[in-house]
Amino acid sequence: MSGTALRSNDLALGLIGTLAVILLWETSVRTGLIDPAVFPSPSLAIAAASERLTARQLGENLSWSLARVFSGFALGALAGVLVGVLAGWYRRFGLVVSPLVELLRPIPPLAWIPLAIIWFGLGEPSKFFIIFLGAFFPVVTAAYQGMRSVDPMLLRAGQTMGLSGVPLLLRVAIPAAAPDLATGLRIGWGLSFGVLVAAELIAADRGLGYMIIAERNAGGSVGVIIVGILLIGALNLLTDAAIGVAIRHWVGRWHGS
Amino acid sequence: MNARLARAASSLAVIAVLLAAWELAVGYGLLKAYQFPPPSKIARGFVELSLTGFPTGVSLWTHTGVTIWRVLQGYVAAILLAVPLGLLIGALPVLDKLSAPLIVFCRSVATLSLLPLVIVWFGAGELTKVVLIGYGCFWTMLSNVIAGVRYVDPVLVRAARSCGLQGPELYREIVLPAALPRIFAGARMALGVGFMVIVGAEMIGTIQGLGALIMEARTFYRSEITIVGMLVIGLLGFLISSGLAGLERVLMPWAGNLDQVRR
Amino acid sequence: MSCAGDISMREPDATPQAGRRTRAPFIRIEAVHKAFAARQGGELMVLDSIDLDIAENEFVSLIGRSGCGKTTLLNIIAGLDAATSGRIAIGERPVTGPGQGQGVVFQQHALFPWLTALGNVSFGFRKAGLPLEERRERSLELLRLVGLEAAANKYPREMSGGMQQRVSIARALALDPQILLMDEPFGALDELTRIELQQELLRIWQARRKTVVFVTHSIDEALMLSDRIVLLAPNPGRIQRIFEVPMPRPRSRTEPAFNALYDEIWSELSS
Repeated sequence: MSGTALRSNDLALGLIGTLAVILLWETSVRTGLIDPAVFPSPSLAIAAASERLTARQLGENLSWSLARVFSGFALGALAGVLVGVLAGWYRRFGLVVSPLVELLRPIPPLAWIPLAIIWFGLGEPSKFFIIFLGAFFPVVTAAYQGMRSVDPMLLRAGQTMGLSGVPLLLRVAIPAAAPDLATGLRIGWGLSFGVLVAAELIAADRGLGYMIIAERNAGGSVGVIIVGILLIGALNLLTDAAIGVAIRHWVGRWHGS
Repeated sequence: MNARLARAASSLAVIAVLLAAWELAVGYGLLKAYQFPPPSKIARGFVELSLTGFPTGVSLWTHTGVTIWRVLQGYVAAILLAVPLGLLIGALPVLDKLSAPLIVFCRSVATLSLLPLVIVWFGAGELTKVVLIGYGCFWTMLSNVIAGVRYVDPVLVRAARSCGLQGPELYREIVLPAALPRIFAGARMALGVGFMVIVGAEMIGTIQGLGALIMEARTFYRSEITIVGMLVIGLLGFLISSGLAGLERVLMPWAGNLDQVRR
Repeated sequence: MSCAGDISMREPDATPQAGRRTRAPFIRIEAVHKAFAARQGGELMVLDSIDLDIAENEFVSLIGRSGCGKTTLLNIIAGLDAATSGRIAIGERPVTGPGQGQGVVFQQHALFPWLTALGNVSFGFRKAGLPLEERRERSLELLRLVGLEAAANKYPREMSGGMQQRVSIARALALDPQILLMDEPFGALDELTRIELQQELLRIWQARRKTVVFVTHSIDEALMLSDRIVLLAPNPGRIQRIFEVPMPRPRSRTEPAFNALYDEIWSELSS
């Protein structure tokens, strides 16, 4: 996204468009165009959800999901930054690590689920691992690329100021790679989130993903499923927007020519 | 050229060393064969999978074919819908502004979270998976088509205008070709998304397909089959993305490398 | 803000007599060779037997066609590159690496984009280990010297090319370097800005006396600024001739002495 701020015109139009669609949805169900049992309107969905779920249940599932994705992402991103930065800075390390990462990268995180279960059993650690992977690969790639494309002139400038080795890495190379790193982190978060939901659908007993599929398995209300889906979507959007704001503040200020 | 060969050689060396160390570690009991099936076992598993199949009768190629076929259907459907729609929305800024939040939201919905809903609607069969893939691919492709059209370099537009082009002609002659690189990038991304979705979608309620294969194999303690499956999935993903990148280079030799394209 | 021609000199500089060095050399370059391994095997001799003495607070320009090795020589003095053989010493100490008292200004400003102008200049004060407040003060002072106090909180991307180069100079000065090495610092700027910055540089040099080695491809620029001009010839890089520039500053492009020297250098360059 470019750094231009949203103009109020655009915001208004966006709002109108969204409201229009919601209205359309609502009315087509009420007029019977769409079967409410199959695809309930927003109002029906929320009503059903408030019947079937207590706030406590929702809160519990939500916290589980958030805790999982935060911790998995945090560790995956940290590992990704460490490995990527070191691989980009120290050529030998990079030569060893790079082929391994490139080999494993094309394998989607979800494809690791059975192996994760083999390694860690059916509990939390396996889900944590998958989310970790979801964050790790985009971040390590971005970190590596970022380091490799640091302007050599900046490094020379740092050297003329008496910096070398680790201080040069920390004070010049890493800030210079920050824009790429930031993008990698943002992508990694999005992926972690998507992976979280899938992992919870496939093999979990708590969390938002689980909540949705449990409802379906229990033959319950479609409304709950829809509310769950929308909630996940909204969470994803909000967190991504928050990251975007943070990036614009820390990086957008000075990046670009 | 020499440098590239050297890198390739060292990469191969690293992997070879790793595989050898792995094999030895299992041989000496340092690693459990179930959790870390040694390369030799994996190779045997590959052979078995290709010839006899797992479950018996369903070979690796069948699984792969099923997965590819599912992805293809969803992907093509998504592209066919997304491109014209995206071109239309991109052409009319008003439409773009009206639909933007909606598109962003729908894209943010984790595709797999729709699985229970789609199962309710379409049952647990093939259609469900295709719809799911289609959903994931559609929004990614749509966003990129719109972006491609909207963010054409204004210098190009100005140059064209000063040559007397305007309106639909301008759109056709200048905007569309200029948007192609981004549209292709979107196609590549969308395929990636579709691929990720199918792997997850096949882990529930189906016994054919690569995703199903690796799950089934685990249930029967055939960890080496799981790994073969994972490697095939990875290879498939890799071939698809490099294939598309190659296609891009052939079809649009004038475009630069867009791997750095940010959203 | 300074304008061209607005500089008042307290006294004309002491100009060294042509040919005779009256002060001890501050930078000694002795028999410096620099060779690179050529792709087809063998060696590419970039610098061949460079002998040069530069006095303290002298302003020396290196000029020559592309390929004459002037930037390589500058990098070697800066410690960013190593000579293949020969000796380089600054103030009796041999050069073993960068950051030993060589302040460098590059053609591409090489300012750290994530720091403001003030931040970039303070970076130069890091090594001095001063407290934060004092670093700020000294940095502001230097920005004042280059006429950019008002832009202290701007990021490089918000500044024009001329401003960026001024900040580069301020940052190099923050190191309190023994010598200032400048590699075509005004090469990427437009004509007017370039002339303005030449004047600025002279003013700064007058205020903060430093030994300056200045690489440029412009004879005009070299004549405006330097005490001596070293003409390098390419393939391999070697000193072709050294010109003394005894004119008092401020110098004018319309002076007959200026033009005479220009013609002399030009004909030497094209021979």
